[in-house]
Amino acid sequence: MSYLTVKDASKQFGGSVRALDGVSFAVERNEFFTLLGPSGCGKTTLLRSIAGFADLTAGSISLDRTALDSVPSHKRDIGMVFQDYAVFPHLTVAENVAFGLKARKVPAAETATRVAEALNTVRLGAMAARLPAALSGGQQQRIGLARAMVIRPKLLLMDEPLSNLDAKLRIDLRDEIRDIQKSIGIAAIYVTHDQEEALAISDRICVMNAGRIEQIGTPQEIYADPRTIFVASFVGTMNVLPREAASHLGMSDAAASRTHQWAIRPEHIRLDQGDAPSDSLRLSGMVEKYTYLGREAHVLAQTPAGKIVLQVADPSPALRMEPGSPIILTFRREDILSFDSDGVRLKGGGN
Amino acid sequence: MRISFWTLVSIFAWTILIALLVLPLGSVLLSSLQDQAGDFSLANYARFVETPRFRTAFLNTLIVGFGGLAGSLLLGSAMAFCMARIEIRGSRFVSLLAILALVSPPFIGAYSWIVLFGSGGLVRQTLMSWGIFIPPIFGLWGILIVFSFKFYPYVYLLASGALANINRSLEEAAESLGLTPFQRVMRISFPLVLPALSAGGLLALIHSIADFGTPRLIGRGFNVLATEAYTLYSAEVGSNLSMATTISIVLIMLSMFFVFAQRYMSRRNVYHGNLINKPVKKKLTGIRNVAAHVVVYAIALIGAMPAFIAAIYSVRRTSGPVFHPGFGLDSYRRILYNLADVVQNSLTFSFATVALIVTIGTLIGCLVARKMSVNNSLLDATLMVPYVMPGIVVGIAFVAAFNSPPLALTGTAAVIILSIFIRRLPYSVRSSASALRQVSPSMEEAAISLGYSPARAFMKVTVPLILPGIIAGGMLSFVTAINELSSSLVLYVGSTATMPVRIYIAINDGDYGTAAALSTVLLVLSSTAIYIAFRLMGRDERALL
Repeated sequence: MSYLTVKDASKQFGGSVRALDGVSFAVERNEFFTLLGPSGCGKTTLLRSIAGFADLTAGSISLDRTALDSVPSHKRDIGMVFQDYAVFPHLTVAENVAFGLKARKVPAAETATRVAEALNTVRLGAMAARLPAALSGGQQQRIGLARAMVIRPKLLLMDEPLSNLDAKLRIDLRDEIRDIQKSIGIAAIYVTHDQEEALAISDRICVMNAGRIEQIGTPQEIYADPRTIFVASFVGTMNVLPREAASHLGMSDAAASRTHQWAIRPEHIRLDQGDAPSDSLRLSGMVEKYTYLGREAHVLAQTPAGKIVLQVADPSPALRMEPGSPIILTFRREDILSFDSDGVRLKGGGN
Repeated sequence: MRISFWTLVSIFAWTILIALLVLPLGSVLLSSLQDQAGDFSLANYARFVETPRFRTAFLNTLIVGFGGLAGSLLLGSAMAFCMARIEIRGSRFVSLLAILALVSPPFIGAYSWIVLFGSGGLVRQTLMSWGIFIPPIFGLWGILIVFSFKFYPYVYLLASGALANINRSLEEAAESLGLTPFQRVMRISFPLVLPALSAGGLLALIHSIADFGTPRLIGRGFNVLATEAYTLYSAEVGSNLSMATTISIVLIMLSMFFVFAQRYMSRRNVYHGNLINKPVKKKLTGIRNVAAHVVVYAIALIGAMPAFIAAIYSVRRTSGPVFHPGFGLDSYRRILYNLADVVQNSLTFSFATVALIVTIGTLIGCLVARKMSVNNSLLDATLMVPYVMPGIVVGIAFVAAFNSPPLALTGTAAVIILSIFIRRLPYSVRSSASALRQVSPSMEEAAISLGYSPARAFMKVTVPLILPGIIAGGMLSFVTAINELSSSLVLYVGSTATMPVRIYIAINDGDYGTAAALSTVLLVLSSTAIYIAFRLMGRDERALL
């Protein structure tokens, strides 16, 4: 049996609103598991059910071979990190971190050592005596992290811990969280709506939509091998084209008969400069917009198959793309994904 | 079925509201709808409409209400504009003066104006000796002057807050679009502060309508509904409770009407500014600078004048009610020897009221803030009712409800404490609910996830965080409780007289020395309480409203 198992979790609010609809998954010891999805997809409800702050309408959760259903939240031994930090403003940094140890009646000497150790881990050793109000958002979230880790919980839950921080800090702190989680070897469940963050930090990602699981897999599987059109479009950028585009994409009628939508990532499309392999497919088009982003550039092209975005890696600063100028797009048939009318991926893709 | 703690609190809250609000109000309504024989009749209302005296009082109430509103709006918005947009030297001192005007009981204001501008008033006499004649301040104009300088802080505090919160970019945008400064003020700034102006104006209006002490002392024959109700109730011969209750109902309806009218007026005008670009204060030079300072200081000093007059007159030498030249502590000595019980009554009643308000108000506040339900919104709405009830009406209502068994409370200390308690309860519930809303629920959840049971998490985390706010709210309740006159005046008996009641009696008897000394004691107590409150929650004048 896995370390944490969630079985058929369902949650119904009020009348017919289903926040969770039969969700099941399992998380292993030491694993960094991310719940990814748009707001309102049920990921936070799921996390709060595991923490014990929300009751499930149906289903069960067990942790370390113990059913959690009748265990009140304060006895679950689960550490939690909050989106708004939830740092206690009336306590010093050290007192914040020691808060959970006090409830466990850990002797004073041991408390001091463990608090100091935890603060050093999150690089706040010098701030121990300060009040949180004087600290930045990033530092406050580090307190939250130290406070949750120091009790050596069975499981660490993080509810969009980085969403209130600015972009650069978000990347620094997410690497730190990942390193700390691996070094203490704890199972962690992380909730985010930021797909890049999920790809960077997770061992496995669970993509959720409208209370259901769309796909569970490693970051590579989620990005490169999406099972549904939702996952394909939510994670990364995706060109989605209607079934009628088949002839322009070099697809057979047989393949097109079951397909509802075609999809291809911008980085799988190149500008034809005469160097494409001979088995490539070609599509002529017209530049509509050129966006220079430094390490890459995006070209929005009008083609007979529809509007398509393609990505130019490391674009030359000299490259100019005036609206209206003709271009030729090339791509490989195996990079085209096909989805049926339920949004489920069809086997064999474009082949 | 297991009844949860919060269900019990909810039942408790409704019990209190029914006993102290619905029952007294019901008695008032019932009494107003009965004829002498006790049968249902609209005779009282017919009489109200027919009797010229009541019609005049009704008209007078509207006149002082809108007069007080106009005066407060004028003074308050002038001061708000100067203080929010122009650099005024000693602006902290100025807002201190505004607070002083706000907390000094209105009847002290009336009294001080009489001392200066009454028939034998100091200023009036001096001017007469120079050959300048001004009429004594009594009558309508006296009431309006007192109201304007007493209630302007409501408008000032709310409007200056709103003015300081207008995003400067909005005004700059208007300017860049080619509006002249005048157009800009009328089309951008004014609509943005309108909700605050109308909210402050409403407070001034309601207090002007409800005030009893000022028209009574300074009106001299200019009667309003509040004074008529009191006269009818307290007449030695032919006391007419059913007519007093009829007037009470009219007063409540009037206040309610204005509350809803203001709500309706400002229903669309809720603006949430983002404060990226805060307005800056302009530094004026020359004559305009002098003019701005004169306006601000004139309003603030005249508004706070009653407090100063009371303090000065309290240390004048007296024998009996007569002032003598020179200074002395005679008046305080008299308080100490003759009126110690009154001071003690005031303190006991106020502390008891505050204790009740803080505990019960906090509990109901938690209920309203955290356990949102239809029941609790209804509770919140019902709590608005005591907010618009004039003190005199609460007094009469309590007499009507608690005069006979099983709840024969009239004449006891309890009835005075409960009357102040129910009037102040809405403020306390609101302030503790808003303190609680500022504590993120995830704070408690964090404590729970760290191993504290929900009850312990509440005690260890939420309570320490809202405690300063609750104590500060308690201090402000203390200020209202100790200054309360109108309901106590209806409800007191000889042994339960309070300081404000005694001041009122002293002024009526012409014993100004005692009145001044008692008023000074009141002001010192109020200022201390406000000082403590501001130390605890940061200086926030708007908490006083």
